[in-house]
Amino acid sequence: MNAPALKDLLFKLADDQLVLGHRNSEWTGLGPILEEDIAFSSMAQDKIGHSLAFYTLLHEELGEQDPDTLAFTRPATEFHNSQLVELPNGEYDFSLIRHFLYDNAEIIRFESLSQSSYTPVAKVATKLKGEIKYHVLHANTWLTNLGSSTEEAILRLQSSLNELLPYALGMFEQSKYEAELIADGIYSGEEAIKTEWLKRIKNVLAKTDLQLPDPDTTAPVLGGRYGTHTPHLQALIDEMSEVFKCDPGAEW
Amino acid sequence: MYGGGNIFEATVFDDLQAEDPVKLAEFEARIARGEKIEPDDWMPNLYRVQLIRMIEQHAHSEIIGALPEGSWITRAPGFRRKLALMAKVQDEVGHAQLLYSAAETLGKSREQMLTDLINGKSKYSNVFNYPTYTWADACTISWLIDAGAIVNQVANSKGSYGPYCRALERICTEEAFHLKYGHDSMVYLATGTEVQRKMAQEAINRWWGPIMSFFGPPDNVSVHTETLMRWKVKIASNDECRQQFLDMYVPKIWELGLTIPDDKLRKDEATGKWVYTEPDWEEFTRVINGDGPCNAERLAVRRRAEERGAWVRQALLNPKARYVRPLA
Amino acid sequence: MNLQSLDPRVNRLNIPASTMTPMAPKSVLDQFATYEAFIQKKEGAPFTFAGAVHAPNPDVAFLFAKEQYSRRSSCTGIWIVQTAHVKLTPYASDEASIYDSFDIDKPEGVTRPLEPYEVFHQQKRGKAHTHVGRVGATSYEEAYELAKNKFSHLTPVVNVWIIKSKNILQSAEEDKDMWVTTAEKKYREAGAYRVMERIKRFKKEQQRRRSKI
Repeated sequence: MNAPALKDLLFKLADDQLVLGHRNSEWTGLGPILEEDIAFSSMAQDKIGHSLAFYTLLHEELGEQDPDTLAFTRPATEFHNSQLVELPNGEYDFSLIRHFLYDNAEIIRFESLSQSSYTPVAKVATKLKGEIKYHVLHANTWLTNLGSSTEEAILRLQSSLNELLPYALGMFEQSKYEAELIADGIYSGEEAIKTEWLKRIKNVLAKTDLQLPDPDTTAPVLGGRYGTHTPHLQALIDEMSEVFKCDPGAEW
Repeated sequence: MYGGGNIFEATVFDDLQAEDPVKLAEFEARIARGEKIEPDDWMPNLYRVQLIRMIEQHAHSEIIGALPEGSWITRAPGFRRKLALMAKVQDEVGHAQLLYSAAETLGKSREQMLTDLINGKSKYSNVFNYPTYTWADACTISWLIDAGAIVNQVANSKGSYGPYCRALERICTEEAFHLKYGHDSMVYLATGTEVQRKMAQEAINRWWGPIMSFFGPPDNVSVHTETLMRWKVKIASNDECRQQFLDMYVPKIWELGLTIPDDKLRKDEATGKWVYTEPDWEEFTRVINGDGPCNAERLAVRRRAEERGAWVRQALLNPKARYVRPLA
Repeated sequence: MNLQSLDPRVNRLNIPASTMTPMAPKSVLDQFATYEAFIQKKEGAPFTFAGAVHAPNPDVAFLFAKEQYSRRSSCTGIWIVQTAHVKLTPYASDEASIYDSFDIDKPEGVTRPLEPYEVFHQQKRGKAHTHVGRVGATSYEEAYELAKNKFSHLTPVVNVWIIKSKNILQSAEEDKDMWVTTAEKKYREAGAYRVMERIKRFKKEQQRRRSKI
């Protein structure tokens, strides 16, 4: 078992989901339609739940600290999430496009991880796959409904898509351990996930009036996987841990 | 979450004189037999109007009630609290959705109700016009305001209108989680460090007044109230609910070593009733009429949410789909 | 100036602090159609009415109903139907059967194709409608008459809903894994919160301290 490589993989999975779940939870009570408010909150809870599952693996299987300590006390420079998930929510079009770009990648990641040679991760991925299936159905249904509707909606979504694609490509930043993880059968690697992801999102976008900017000429925003973040992430962490840190040693 | 203080005045009692006496007698006999009224049944106008008002106020209280606790959704300490608070606030939004549907079966559209809320034309529970300064305030709402709401809602679930009862059945199940979660989070504070205990006590001090007035002023029993009680629209009096709440929760607050900011508060063993300082009903009236610490913010936020969502709703509109009121 | 809130999320909404003019009434267009949702709690159990959602079409209604009506308890499937597609009888009194007191004439003239209709019963006022079965008919009226023959033994029946099968959006067999983990989300169940031990410990500690003084 290649512990450093596994930790590298699990941290990026866990941190992505924690940060995105946190961002999406900000919509609770403020969503565009009551029912959508509820659906979006469920998915945010799932994401936080998934991050907890991966932090738990890091703690129990790989000797890292407990999940609360990992999530609430590390500085931004020690977070491995892609910058895509840390950006502030903006308007609903922005949150929806991020959700669409992220979850279509996430499901491929989980499909791959459910076949992992590292059993603990395969188990978790297999169990949680059904939840992400709903997330993808949700994202794709919304995109196809809104993506060919009013001029305003199309314009909004298109501009969010243009803005977010470079960040989304940053999700596939290669790990230092990429070759080993693939060789050991831990997962299929970022390049393979990205290829499949492009295929799937193009299929959905084809049903809409939205245009995907050329991914080959779009420079990905990299660095998130190794601690380079926008200032938004530290602000998010400070807010998230405001109570947790106000009395060290307290149980909440 | 919803308390008393629902406003039952307005509709002129004489309205009943205009109703068909045979149908009215059948309607009253059905309720007296313990049967529920369903949306397509004949019902007196007063019944319909009062139910819409009550269920609508209840729904508004849920959607506005999501805001004071929602203030802490991004700051809940640790995974356990973070997940629970997310689910709890989500439930409140879910309850609003269920209740708006129940009110819609009586003929008022949800969008109309939301517009009336935002324009200050219809009320919601006063308690949500108070701010949540600390994490402990959010915990106090989860525990004690939800506890009060359960007392109220369990009473209301014995009411006569089928769709409202069905919604309340589900709501009460979920509130059981809110109450336990709220209690748990307060127990951790009260049995925790000095900082935590102080935070908990200060929150109780701040919220005691609003909690006591949550159940609404003592009912002045009029013919009108008697009719609504006979029709099982209003089930328990505000004072009964307040007494029941005190009975159940004062001991639970005391056992945590917390104090309640009311020198007069004690149970009179002779009468079995709690004696307390009368809540400040002047403040209650002032706040319910718009002049509370957070009224303006609550409505502004709700309105902002509606306006920010407008393009989404516009884009999704299906010109062929026809709005009809939900069935049940 | 913007409204200053204790909620950091609200501060990010940049709401002007000035008093606002009343919001204009929503246009009729802002009202989505409503859809009724039915939930199957476990394999083989009948689909039972859960409630309504507002949605622009059945696909979105499914997304909404899934979280509003099946997030908290076990579920193996959902049916969605637009409210306008449900035909219903009047309500009978409890203990009675609406089949005994309500008849409809079959439409004359037009012959329509034979197709399946789903039949739902409400057994008691205040309770939810449940699916009892299917009939093949050429109209709602005929479907009701056939339901009367086929299901009237299932008394009491205070109310009947009839829906054309083709108007029901049914969740797919292969999507059942979307509900697999519902039961594991213990953090939203009352049973997950047990604090008696903690309270007992605390009280003991308080007593010990008091007796020291």
